[in-house]
Amino acid sequence: MTDGAGNNSARNDSAGRFRRLELTVRRRVDGLLQGDVDGHAIGPGSDPEELTQYQPGQDVRRIDWNVTARTGEPHLWRTRAQHELDTWLLVDRSPSMTFGTARTEKVDVAEQVAAAVGLLTNGPGNRVGIGLIDEAGLHWISPRPGRAAAAALTRLDAAVRQGSPAVSLSDALRGLGARARRRGLCVVVTDLVSPDGAIERPFEWEGALRRLTARHDVIVVEIDDPRERELPDVGEVVLLDPETGAQREVSTSDPELRIAYAMVTALHRDETAAAVRAARAEHLRVSTDDDWAAVLARFVKDRRRAPARRHRRTP
Amino acid sequence: MTFTDPLFLLALVPVAALALAYVLLQRRRTRYAVRFATLPMLDRVAPTRPRWRRHLATGLVLLALGAFATAAAGPEMRLRVPYERATVIVAIDVSGSMEAQDVPPDRLTAAKGAAVEFVRELPETVQVGVVAFAEEAELVAPVTADRALVENSIQNLQSDGGTAIGEAVFASAAEVVRQAAASRPTPEGDTAPDADTADPIPARLVLLSDGFNTAGRSPASSVQAALDAEMPVSTIAYGTPSGVIGNGARTQSAPADDETLRMLAEGTTGHFYRAESGAELDQVYEDIGSAIGWRTETTLVTTPLVLIGLALAITATALSLRWFSRLV
Repeated sequence: MTDGAGNNSARNDSAGRFRRLELTVRRRVDGLLQGDVDGHAIGPGSDPEELTQYQPGQDVRRIDWNVTARTGEPHLWRTRAQHELDTWLLVDRSPSMTFGTARTEKVDVAEQVAAAVGLLTNGPGNRVGIGLIDEAGLHWISPRPGRAAAAALTRLDAAVRQGSPAVSLSDALRGLGARARRRGLCVVVTDLVSPDGAIERPFEWEGALRRLTARHDVIVVEIDDPRERELPDVGEVVLLDPETGAQREVSTSDPELRIAYAMVTALHRDETAAAVRAARAEHLRVSTDDDWAAVLARFVKDRRRAPARRHRRTP
Repeated sequence: MTFTDPLFLLALVPVAALALAYVLLQRRRTRYAVRFATLPMLDRVAPTRPRWRRHLATGLVLLALGAFATAAAGPEMRLRVPYERATVIVAIDVSGSMEAQDVPPDRLTAAKGAAVEFVRELPETVQVGVVAFAEEAELVAPVTADRALVENSIQNLQSDGGTAIGEAVFASAAEVVRQAAASRPTPEGDTAPDADTADPIPARLVLLSDGFNTAGRSPASSVQAALDAEMPVSTIAYGTPSGVIGNGARTQSAPADDETLRMLAEGTTGHFYRAESGAELDQVYEDIGSAIGWRTETTLVTTPLVLIGLALAITATALSLRWFSRLV
């Protein structure tokens, strides 16, 4: 009985989370999308409709009378099959993401942003597939409607907090490229911190990202934490790397150390921004002390204002 | 090491407890580590300092505390301390038999070399006098702190004839008494110090001879004089039984008189030695030197221990400052 009750409460909790998420998205992010013909700002650009000759059995309401009158043959509008709008979310839940010093941990922000994206691409026939990178490897959740995908994301178990991830970001991107055969939207939610501490280009994930952007629209959502940008002055601390388990003692009261570290992280941020830009993907930065809904809303608004980037000449 | 107040050694208990706590804390450190996801980036900036530096600084501090705690208990050690006012008279037989060459190059030269070495090994505070005896005993160098003078006197000894062991003892005893009287502090405006009432100072006679007593008063009668002067006599019987002297035409054996010399030494609470070669003589002189110039005394070593502790603590603090920019 208690087990059932416990399960119930867990389910209620995740259901509550989902409801709150939906409310947030609809009020604060989706609110901007009302009145749009497309219904969703996020998605690949609409392909131009095409005129074809009328074949018996097709929808007569779509006949273009002007063209029919001019040519004498019935022509009708046909849109390219757009309902199979594929969105893929790649969410990094490796142990390095289970770190956060502001309101939440990075992994919580990642899950919520990914779920919000899933809700925003909700439409008839749109499918959202999810890839989860965690310490055991890469898991896939099969494509399902946006709401269901968002619900699945809010129902995930807590991320494993230590251990080296078996899969690197470049491998995950390659896996995503292999799975997502149709052109669509790919949203990669990660912290872009490499286990070897690389801070300069070329990063190991750049090649895979470029291959992905060749086929899809890619948005890279980078999650970071204010303490990762700057070390606070808290005296002597023993720091633990959640992925490798290595410990080291750091004297954070040393101002030179703090300045050097801030410079290193600033360089890393610049380099990742340049790398993502060079791969022709879009870049969105969310911090754990930010209001992710506001940041996402601003991003969506800016994206709608500049849609030219989204059109791509495909061979 | 012994302690005057062993109860204060209990101060070592808290120090040991601190050391134990430190060791245990190192083991438990993993529970109090703070997670940090970008540690690889931080490693690029801050070179990892090996942990032994931390442990070294702490270890030195604990050692310093241990030194302080031990010093609180008043440790004493038996140290070799030189006599402050000691006198040694070196008496060397310069009779004709010392020209025998059984001890290369000849007995007298070897004896002189060994004696000079012996004098050099004595601590600074010991005053040395030299008596040479052949037919008579002669005070070649009065008891003095001037080692150069003593060495020169020894080197200039020439062999003569006869052997007057007893006279040598008498002369040495008289010199010791005279020196004690001369060095006694004079009371203000009094008459000159009386030799009879002088305090005897620690004195010793080291007598080297290679033959029988042939001249002067007998050694047996000199034993009492030595005892009166509180001057133990250490005797060295020198030379091999087959030693011969001679100038080609006439050879004469020159054995050493062990019995008399032994009697002389034991009667005056000294020691008897035999030396049949230069090396043995060196060894004998070394034994005598370490026995008479120094004495073992238990002294309080609190101050050195406190200074050691202070040095350790300062080293630990300096290292910590250099490596970790912290004083502790």
